Amino acid sequence: MATHAPARDPLAGTGAAGVRRESREWLWSLLAGVAILAAIALVPLSGDDAALSLWTLIVMFCVLAQGWNFIGGYAGYAAFGNVVFFGIGAEAVALTLLNGGPFWLGLLLGTLAAGLFAFLLGLPVLRLRGHYFAIATLGIAEALGELVAAKAIGGPGGEVSLTPPDLDFHIANTLFFYGFLALSLLTLLGTAWLARSRFGVALVAIRENEEAAEALGIPTFWYKVGAFVLSALPTALAGGLYAYWFLSLQPTGEGGVFDVGYSVSMVLMTFLGGAGTIVGPLIGGIIIEYLVQTTTVAFGDIHGQLLGALIILVTIFLPQGLIRLVRELTVSPAGVKLSYTRRFTEGVRRVQRFIASNGI
Amino acid sequence: MSSASSRPTASSPSGSPDATPDANAAPILALDAVTKRFGGLPAVDDLSFAVRPGEVLGIIGPNGAGKSTLIGLIGGALAPTSGVITYAGRAIADLPPHRRAHLGIARTFQIAQPFVGLDVRDNVIVGALFGRRGLRRPEAARVADEVLERVHLTHKAMLKGDQLTVADRKRLEMARALATNPRLLLLDEVMAGLTPTEVAQAVELIRAINRDGVTVLVVEHIMRAIKGVSDRILVLHHGRKIAEDLPDEVLADPKVIEAYLGERYARQRAAEREGAATSAATGAATSAADADTDAAEEPEWKGGLA
Repeated sequence: MATHAPARDPLAGTGAAGVRRESREWLWSLLAGVAILAAIALVPLSGDDAALSLWTLIVMFCVLAQGWNFIGGYAGYAAFGNVVFFGIGAEAVALTLLNGGPFWLGLLLGTLAAGLFAFLLGLPVLRLRGHYFAIATLGIAEALGELVAAKAIGGPGGEVSLTPPDLDFHIANTLFFYGFLALSLLTLLGTAWLARSRFGVALVAIRENEEAAEALGIPTFWYKVGAFVLSALPTALAGGLYAYWFLSLQPTGEGGVFDVGYSVSMVLMTFLGGAGTIVGPLIGGIIIEYLVQTTTVAFGDIHGQLLGALIILVTIFLPQGLIRLVRELTVSPAGVKLSYTRRFTEGVRRVQRFIASNGI
Repeated sequence: MSSASSRPTASSPSGSPDATPDANAAPILALDAVTKRFGGLPAVDDLSFAVRPGEVLGIIGPNGAGKSTLIGLIGGALAPTSGVITYAGRAIADLPPHRRAHLGIARTFQIAQPFVGLDVRDNVIVGALFGRRGLRRPEAARVADEVLERVHLTHKAMLKGDQLTVADRKRLEMARALATNPRLLLLDEVMAGLTPTEVAQAVELIRAINRDGVTVLVVEHIMRAIKGVSDRILVLHHGRKIAEDLPDEVLADPKVIEAYLGERYARQRAAEREGAATSAATGAATSAADADTDAAEEPEWKGGLA
């Protein structure tokens, strides 16, 4: 093997350098995420109610994307029905409140129900791969929404109107905002933990090559079920918060708590930011939901088309997401020390080559 | 290539006592009447054989003989249609692949299956984290570095799984399997596509692994390599066992030559042997004929038996 040995022998340390680079990236991601959330936490200081509700919605979508990231980003299973957990969380809070129960109980029940549902649903559908899995999850969400509507759960057609909490309107909204923010922070920390754990390594291995993962001793099926349950929990909590914040719910149709549009948003946000990264879904969620909300106001008629165009552009040019773009542009390949300019030009070349490999 | 052309005998200094398979020991792996059909077509047909602990068993056969199917059956990726597979005294045919990995069965894939998004070192760490040892992170990293050193991939540890050459992908397959700390290693054509020098290195590595007490099952297409590394060779043809014996016996078996190179070549070779036997000592003639086969066989079986 002498032919393969390099002329110099600086290699004893490469492994350790890799670990250092990895943990540096982990730390930076976590800090970036916390910093972003800390900045958002200042929004209520402006005293602007419109801004508060805009950012409440944005943070909620961040949570949804962060939740989807567990199954879609880390495990690489394109779940197109994660809105079902959002709906379950929302319905649980609505039904609990309608029956005179406390809000926290509704949240708890919704989270438990969604976790259990993810487990039971995962048993059959996580045996499916690729498109089949995506279609199966999509179908389940639609079916559950229709069921709630048809059985008139919570009211005629499944529509629910809740009494607002017994608090000043502004204070209540501020509390909901911080509720979503805390949930997002918790999910961020959970993701950071996952990225360093055996569980996370197993999910990434499954995403990268499920057959090889199984052959190396990873019980792939149970890890996938675990990722599915994990992704259901923050999603259901967000649904529960949303129900009490928004007060009026419908199961189906646009804006319904089982609307597939939520699922699409989760996927899009996660991919724009970077699927399977710690801070990617947060960034993607902020960018997309901010654009959606502002374009809805500015170009009410064509915001759907604009969003569609964005999906196409992201798929073509950023299938690896913004975080990976940053990584490609800043990190030296294979741990070779390069100047920053050289790294950047090399990075641009790699990104161009990657885009070209999609046939563009 | 002299180091690769013959298996060291028991008296050779490179064979340590624990590497010598014990003929009386209970088999570490036994297949009993195992059949695997794909839509009615048998890929492995009523196959029975046993592997002794510490042995290197070579498995050869033309394309489509069922070699990779056999690896899949033992590794657990495939379930047999019928038959019993026993590993270390327990029936394993119903266990999923990850359970078999925990029991100490590791495999490589004929078409390398790296985790493409992970670098080489992380690829190997996965094996150490979840294999038979189930190590924690720091130890897993240490084991990964040792294994990479062993397969000569240390200087490529930072590359991504899809940035490797074919030869390095094969090394990575080996490294990942070794990191699980196997008792039984299933190698599915790890030498295919390598240069002669790389083949010699791979042979040396397999011997070293075997000296550490790992039982090895080598599926291979390259006759020369498998002869150099195997204690015994089993030949598959159309999913059936047509020969199982010492390397020299198997490679001289007319049935095997026919299966590999066709009937016409078998007749021709038999004629050559007769001619050679009259003019020279038998041993020398055999090795000369072997060298001939080596030169001629590779293009022929790639083209003729695809």
